[in-house]
Amino acid sequence: MSKLKTGHYVEAAFWLTLVVFFFAYSFEFNKEIEIYKYGATLWPRTILVFIALAAIGQFFDQRKNGDRASSNTMAAAHVNPEANPEHSGLAWYTSTFILLALPFVYMNLPEKIIGWMSIAEEGEAKVKFICAAVLFVIYLLLAWRNHVGAILALPIFFAAVLVDLGFYATAPVFILGIMILMGERRISRMAMIMPFIYGLILLFFVALLYVGLPTGNLKPFYNFGNWIVTLLQ
Amino acid sequence: MDTFNLFLNGTATLFGDPIGILIFFGGVVGGMLFGAIPGVSMLTLAAILLPFTAHLSPEHGIMLFSVIYCTGVYGGAITAILFNIPGAPENAPTAFDGYPMTLDGRAGKAVGAAVMCSAIGGVVSCIIMMYATAPIAGWAISAFGPPEIFALVFFGLAVAASVGAKTFWKGWLSIMAGLMIAVIGLDPVGGIERYNFDMPYLAAGIHFIPTILGFFAVSEIFVQAEKKATGAYKAPKLSVDFPTFKELWIHKIAVVRSIIIGFFCGILPGIGATLAAFMGYNEAARWSKDRLKFGTGKIEGVISSETANNSATGAAMIPLLALGLPGGALTAMMVGVFQMHDMEPGPLVFINSPDLVWVVFSAMFFANVAILLVGFLEAKTIVNLLRIPFQFLAPMILLLATVGAYAVRGLVIDVVVMFVAGVAGYFLRRSGYSVAGIVLGLILGKIGEQTFAQAMQMLHFEFSGFLSRPIAFGLLAAGFVTIGGSVYGAFFKKSETPSETSPSA
Repeated sequence: MSKLKTGHYVEAAFWLTLVVFFFAYSFEFNKEIEIYKYGATLWPRTILVFIALAAIGQFFDQRKNGDRASSNTMAAAHVNPEANPEHSGLAWYTSTFILLALPFVYMNLPEKIIGWMSIAEEGEAKVKFICAAVLFVIYLLLAWRNHVGAILALPIFFAAVLVDLGFYATAPVFILGIMILMGERRISRMAMIMPFIYGLILLFFVALLYVGLPTGNLKPFYNFGNWIVTLLQ
Repeated sequence: MDTFNLFLNGTATLFGDPIGILIFFGGVVGGMLFGAIPGVSMLTLAAILLPFTAHLSPEHGIMLFSVIYCTGVYGGAITAILFNIPGAPENAPTAFDGYPMTLDGRAGKAVGAAVMCSAIGGVVSCIIMMYATAPIAGWAISAFGPPEIFALVFFGLAVAASVGAKTFWKGWLSIMAGLMIAVIGLDPVGGIERYNFDMPYLAAGIHFIPTILGFFAVSEIFVQAEKKATGAYKAPKLSVDFPTFKELWIHKIAVVRSIIIGFFCGILPGIGATLAAFMGYNEAARWSKDRLKFGTGKIEGVISSETANNSATGAAMIPLLALGLPGGALTAMMVGVFQMHDMEPGPLVFINSPDLVWVVFSAMFFANVAILLVGFLEAKTIVNLLRIPFQFLAPMILLLATVGAYAVRGLVIDVVVMFVAGVAGYFLRRSGYSVAGIVLGLILGKIGEQTFAQAMQMLHFEFSGFLSRPIAFGLLAAGFVTIGGSVYGAFFKKSETPSETSPSA
């Protein structure tokens, strides 16, 4: 009797889609190399064949044995990240996918809007602010019901705004965000720990090691970043 | 010069340099702390430090990583014993008996046994490493050409795929995913751009530092963050009460057996300390008169697992330094340290940088001695540090990782890549895939493809040429047998769940 679950189908489909996509793309660089008759494609295509074989093998093993498929000697070392039922349904995956997509929307949308609407240079900052604010509100709305998805997306969001808003202005918000999402609610603790972590990182890396962190390129964030750097160095 | 004098020279160089001493003790304490704090591991620390080793000399960089390796493997035992959360996969069998001992109120005895046995296993392994590595490297210079190195990479990947993840299939897919990431960028023979999707960032390939930081440091935080958000995270209980020498002496046979098992597992590329710990534990249970009591809080379980995993640390340096091939995640990061200094690990290191080799050997020896000293003197302090709430630790680690990823090349896109790798690592780990396997594939992929191309050119594009090279043929055959055995096992043997193989995991 088949012991397959939806997750097993999704897993197999994921790997096989990846194989088909990368195999098809390999024709883009299928060029001859004079000294090497196998060219640049033999190695990646061989790996893709092995991925396909392993994905199919896993699928048939799961069909026979379900989640107990061929557990090996060290299986016990990998049992801890068990999927929580609350964080594995279709609704959770959809909400998490949207949360994870938001930073990438920010990385592409403002440029597109500026291009479509032919906005002048001085208006670009405004477009970026509005985009960031709108996306952040959407993030908060989704994060309200999906803390784990929000924890996964927040660092990517933080990285996505680094170019425009800089490290110095966004890091305190990031620290507070992670603490809150991980269940911290004591305001006094957060008020003490956030400046401590922020200060420690800045003192060690900026003041001591002279690491140049992104200052951002939008005012007033750029000015704030530069002010901190001048203060510390 | 004989080995002992070289060791003394290495020791003098190590402790004659104030910066070296600082880095050594930083590595000892850092490895123990990151190994011991639940939710992070020595790999998290190593990943965070990796970008900054560019500012250190190669000696200091490799020495720091080797010290973290020794003390971090021990540090992970503390969380395994106290909270049933192994600091790293190599500490998983320690939890089988260590945690029941904690529940019995004997946590101190288990921690003490881990301290002593980790130090013994590590020191003995270091001594063997000092005597064995140079002769193996000397032999490798003449015996190992591109076909042999490719065959060894293949064998290492086959073994890592077979035993490294929750199932053989997931292990294999993890390794292959790492190999595919390594393909992105320029092909090593003709310099043709592959899978760059017209993005300039991908033209030179995905940088390994953000990838490693993402897969280890960031994904670990996400896994723990999920537990924290769902209330599955457990606060520590503290007690330290060391076992007497007599209590440990009874298990001397288990210690010797685990040293031998650990050393031979460590020396094989792709296996390392994790299988050593599992095999050490399994053999201890198999040979014990009280085998049915294993998993209920037998100190012998902790002893055998911890001796074996630390014994593998010294042995794991042999393929890295003698052949240039990493056996696990941390040694793969050491390859990264070498590459950042435009060096290649391998037999030529012994000729070009003998100081580096002996400083590293001495540092590893003293790091294992330090486990004993610091373990006894500072165990309570270290255990008290476990009280740091994870919600305060997590933003700190994420910011350190951000600075680390950005500092490599000053590119924000590296930070984005790191966090995306972290999310990918989180989902892959949830599904039982091995992030260590992905990183091993990523590092060995480049070496593997390059040596394969060189081998085929050397053998005039005849695969049968491998048959005329006994070492290469033997390693390829062993790799195919390993894969074949796993495939056979998957389809024709009755599967076992972890709960059936491990009493209390």
